[in-house]
Amino acid sequence: MAPHSSIRHLISPLLQTFRTSLTQNVLPPALLSSSRTFSSTSPTSAKNDKKKSIDPRITLIRYHLQHPATPRPLKFSRMRALRHWTIHRAWMLALRKKLEAEELELQRMYQSMHNAMEELRTMDERDGKTGRDSGRLYRVALEKKGIFGKEGVPVEYARLQTDTPAREAWDHSWTR
Amino acid sequence: MALRELQPSVQRLVLRDTRPIATAAGKCWRRYASGDAAAAAPKEVSEDFQDLESKTSLFTAFSPDDKVKAYDPIKRTQGRRRELPPSRYQYRSPRYYRGPLHPHQPPPKSDPSSREFIPGPFSYTRLEQTYQSTIAPDLMTMTYVHKPPGTVTIPKADRLRTWDDSSPYHKGRPKRGPRGPGDTLRLIEQDINWRNIPKIEEVTVHTFVKGALEDSSHLHVAGMLLQAVTGVRPTVHKAKHSEGRWGLRKGNPVSLTCNMRGEQAYDFVDKCINLVFPRIKDWPGTTGDSGGNISWGFSREGAILFPEVEINYDMYPPKLIPGFHVTVKTTATSDRHARLLLSALGVPFTGKLVD
Repeated sequence: MAPHSSIRHLISPLLQTFRTSLTQNVLPPALLSSSRTFSSTSPTSAKNDKKKSIDPRITLIRYHLQHPATPRPLKFSRMRALRHWTIHRAWMLALRKKLEAEELELQRMYQSMHNAMEELRTMDERDGKTGRDSGRLYRVALEKKGIFGKEGVPVEYARLQTDTPAREAWDHSWTR
Repeated sequence: MALRELQPSVQRLVLRDTRPIATAAGKCWRRYASGDAAAAAPKEVSEDFQDLESKTSLFTAFSPDDKVKAYDPIKRTQGRRRELPPSRYQYRSPRYYRGPLHPHQPPPKSDPSSREFIPGPFSYTRLEQTYQSTIAPDLMTMTYVHKPPGTVTIPKADRLRTWDDSSPYHKGRPKRGPRGPGDTLRLIEQDINWRNIPKIEEVTVHTFVKGALEDSSHLHVAGMLLQAVTGVRPTVHKAKHSEGRWGLRKGNPVSLTCNMRGEQAYDFVDKCINLVFPRIKDWPGTTGDSGGNISWGFSREGAILFPEVEINYDMYPPKLIPGFHVTVKTTATSDRHARLLLSALGVPFTGKLVD
């Protein structure tokens, strides 16, 4: 026999007397009794029936909202994980290439706009034109009249690209 | 080049020759797999094949057996310096992030074993595609501001106030904000160039569910509806302050938000513009926060028009369907730029325009 259990065996009568004295002295006798109060009706019928009937749709929605927010992490075997990693790296490279190409294209457009405007600006001076008309094209090209108003972008502009565009682009005769 | 042109003629010679021509093939500087196979495989070529091209695959004798025999997994395994973990081994990322100094660090988000891993993208949204191909260059062209080379830009005064060095404690102090009641710095509109064309960054959908004060079923139905419409699980927010007039008590869950980014955000805006807006009868209009974020609201009737709700309308108790607010956060720093972007996408703007 292990020493500690023998010690416990020694102490247990002491503990027992301590427990019994506690229950007898501190707790009131009403709490100690195990009998329940008598009632002839069942507790469910006493409650309000109207409150109990919940729309089954709400119950269903509540049930489905209990779904755990994040599923457990995916588990891949070594080869599958490697395959996934390779594809992911390739996708990131492709994405980066695409984004860079888009930005370069926009920069090219901006640069060519800049060159064109510079040409317009210096054109008349170079040709020796003076007076009111000199630099007119430049000024007209830089006008920003009404672009931030309601008619800045026409309604017809907001048509998304489709594989099968309509034959008639915009029905102007439409009325409600 | 000359060698390449020489090749077919050499091969024809080779094929006609009755003898095997390992020597002739060996003399070729450039080696082709099919050429080698032709040299190795057919000893006699029938006259029917004489007129065919010598490089035809009919003659190639590809034997996968060599590769199969060369593959020796045991040797490969023994050649490794360190033994691989068994293939059944699964790395489990820690459930909670315990900070940068903890020895267990979670894997990157892109790793499928990460708990934050999101598969995708699965589509290139139509709206994004249109934006990238036509709208972005058009906006850039429309708002182009020409700066002739050599223009001197005068730097503006710093908007933050510095400390006078009356105390030695002023040394490392961050600068003070502007004077006055609005102590936050307002955003400054920048000229649009090819790098800062406004685009949609994030879309937030928000709903305050008043009925949730008495009955939690309002909140649950609203959550389900938002989840269906946005595809994102809503976040519940609790009331920060008690407000007697509204029956609001501090700590009660009262509102829901969904945040969408990227593909989902573009899809949501697309749905709003092309499916819901055309069917709304009274368009109340939009508002902006003068920082490039435009928002609008859908009433209960508007929420019903969303295709995800419409197709499954019977699922929701009709009295509990909420309306919601939509905030489109753009990278624009002023409302007029954001409005330019959204009107190019098709959001209608009516009434007085305020910046």
